[in-house]
Amino acid sequence: MIRKTLLLCLLAISLFMTVYGGFFRKFLVYDNLEKFDKLKNVGITIKIPGYDNASEDFKPESQWFTEPEVVRAMTFEGIKRYKDGKLISNYPDLRMLKGRIPCPT
Amino acid sequence: MEKIRLKIQLACLALLNLGVFQWQTVCFPVLNCHSCPTAIFACPVGIIGQFVGLGLIPLSVVGIVALAGLTVGRFLCGWVCPFGLFQDLLYKIPYIKFDIPRWTRFIKYGVFAGLVVAVPFFLTPAFPAYFCRLCPVATIESAIPWAIINGTTDVISLSIRLAILFAIVVAAMGHRRFFCKTLCPLGAIIAPLNRFAAVFPQRNIDCTDCGVCNKVCPMETTHGVSKHGVFEGAPEECISCLECQKKCPTDAIKLWG
Repeated sequence: MIRKTLLLCLLAISLFMTVYGGFFRKFLVYDNLEKFDKLKNVGITIKIPGYDNASEDFKPESQWFTEPEVVRAMTFEGIKRYKDGKLISNYPDLRMLKGRIPCPT
Repeated sequence: MEKIRLKIQLACLALLNLGVFQWQTVCFPVLNCHSCPTAIFACPVGIIGQFVGLGLIPLSVVGIVALAGLTVGRFLCGWVCPFGLFQDLLYKIPYIKFDIPRWTRFIKYGVFAGLVVAVPFFLTPAFPAYFCRLCPVATIESAIPWAIINGTTDVISLSIRLAILFAIVVAAMGHRRFFCKTLCPLGAIIAPLNRFAAVFPQRNIDCTDCGVCNKVCPMETTHGVSKHGVFEGAPEECISCLECQKKCPTDAIKLWG
């Protein structure tokens, strides 16, 4: 009985987390380049290919993203954001928020 | 049953890595690297690490993993996980077989707490010891393919990853499900929920306590003494592979209880 009650409680909590996180939760994401510049100002250097050459093309923006969009941005999509120094994706590369390096290799 | 399980594992490997589309807004609760060129879903461990690195908890991802853990539990490890299939195949290779101490199963909780949570939170995932940078699944599915496709300049990092993969492959050849049992951080998340899972082998009144199930269990769970129902000894490790059901002389084990 205790086990079943606990199971139901845990199921309800996890269902709430899934539904809330999947459909209602939103994040205000600052564009990488704001963070990038802030990090650069305090002496932390992150190398983004093409950034130094084409940084004038970028306009830092902040946007609201749903949690699934942030999840997607943290996967492979994030890496595609910068190619040859140009912004090619709508998703901010969250991996770089704390000076992180893209995942695969 | 073993052949059916193998077929389902192969089908899941194909389905999770079809590469015809990407739906990486959603995590599928098995260890399947989303950086793989053909992966469809996101890896929950990778996403949790990334979120924790930003000081956030991915509610939808934790919720999906918890829902899976509470309904099917580590059945996913036994029947769906591609790396589980890889280890099952590795163990069939003739090689020196060995046992490992029972306490080693607790290492995976340390791996989860340390490399998936603590390192990203305190040191950011860019730190070389972040789990995804050492993950053998990511090495097979992502690091090696991308090194072939794009080449790599980070030879040292790739060499370390390959060395870790090699060590795990050798260990998996000698001990069944070595990685699942000792190192898998996703297993560490799902294991505590496995006790509540609806899909879980249970013994009925036909059980004669012969102990055969204990001997054949790849995850070293034990059936306890004279008590029916779920396996009492380390039930969190059970991957519902049904090796025990196959060997049970009285057919006393059912997956659905």
